[in-house]
Amino acid sequence: MIASVTIVELSLVLFAVAIVAGMLGSLLGLGGGFVIVPVLTLVFHLDIRLAIGTSIVAVAATSSAGAARNVSQSITNLRVATFLALATTIGAVSGALLSGVFDARFLFGLFGIVLAISGLQMLRHSRRTFSRAPSKVAPAAGSEGRLVRRLALDSAYYDQAERTEVPYVVANTGLGLGLMYLAGGISGLLGIGSGVLKVPAMDLAMHIPMKVSSATSNLLIGLTAAASAVVYFSRGDIDPLIAGPVALGVLLGATQGARLLAGIRADRLRVLFVTALIVVATQMLWKAIG
Amino acid sequence: MASETLAYGALMPPSPRGVRAAVGKVLRLGVLASAALLVAGYLVGLISDPGAFTSHALEQAHLRARASFPHSFRAVFDGICHGSGEAIIAAGVLLLIMTPVAGLLTAAIAFARRRDRLFGVIAASVLAIILGSFVLGSLTS
Repeated sequence: MIASVTIVELSLVLFAVAIVAGMLGSLLGLGGGFVIVPVLTLVFHLDIRLAIGTSIVAVAATSSAGAARNVSQSITNLRVATFLALATTIGAVSGALLSGVFDARFLFGLFGIVLAISGLQMLRHSRRTFSRAPSKVAPAAGSEGRLVRRLALDSAYYDQAERTEVPYVVANTGLGLGLMYLAGGISGLLGIGSGVLKVPAMDLAMHIPMKVSSATSNLLIGLTAAASAVVYFSRGDIDPLIAGPVALGVLLGATQGARLLAGIRADRLRVLFVTALIVVATQMLWKAIG
Repeated sequence: MASETLAYGALMPPSPRGVRAAVGKVLRLGVLASAALLVAGYLVGLISDPGAFTSHALEQAHLRARASFPHSFRAVFDGICHGSGEAIIAAGVLLLIMTPVAGLLTAAIAFARRRDRLFGVIAASVLAIILGSFVLGSLTS
């Protein structure tokens, strides 16, 4: 049945799947690879290399289309994104250089466990409304040096769902930077966007509101993906006829997702994110076992 | 804040809002241009080489998995010159990959124009790392 699918039919199916992946991806600050890769490999039995190459393109598309809207709407914190990109890109390069040193199964297992833990953490925090009073979380006084103050990362965004300006104070900058380095390393090692790690790092560790975390992660994953995408492209892992319809669908879906982000309630966003997290964690643990 | 007072000294420095608007505009342009290339490539391919599009995709994808589609900047450029739809799609994909980087470049320039030296340096460093990985990537594969 699958062998008789033509390129045109395949393109249409991929286009439809990609719209969903893009919408979820840009809403949550993820790359959408967690939707794309299983569909390509499990449903279409496509070579895993081509699936990962396509997923990288989906990450770039989600990031560009989502960020185009979120940056203009000031949900994305551009300073936080630029600053943290320093850690994620260095992490991605180290990860790419180290790939082959670690056993992939061990990594998938570790990654799955980390995700499951951060999912539980986020679920516990969802009862507290971070979004209403994020600025109540005072940064550890005295621990932030002059350099951190000069970074001026604190900001505010207008929450459409709550119809208020939400100011926030960014905490634990050093810890955030370290976590982003690890997230970048995982990206480089496993060829994934790892927005699932970036969002909790900002939301839980740095006390950045959920919406801002998603939007900022959205921009970050594009920068991290660009660093490794050229490798995939030169290796011949990006097939234009598969990546093309996926890219188009994701662009469409991500634009819609970014539109939804402004209006969605922060607590619902968190529940949706935790659901996606559980899906990804299960996929990773499955790979570790199977 | 030091960066705020310094900003007034610059020649028409973009405000933080101006920085965001500029980055947003570049990202939007990149997205629209690559979407246009993707659609155009698909249409060109359907018209010029309908056989490739109506054949059995997956067998083909497996066979072609290694080399037959354009996967170097040179091959994409040559393909476009020969009117290959596939190469135009590949160009659209490449443009899409570069779009977030172009957004970062815009931010770096805007930070520098605001005399926000710290962030100018940070953004430039990130760009250098990404460009370095491009070179590393195209050399190692």
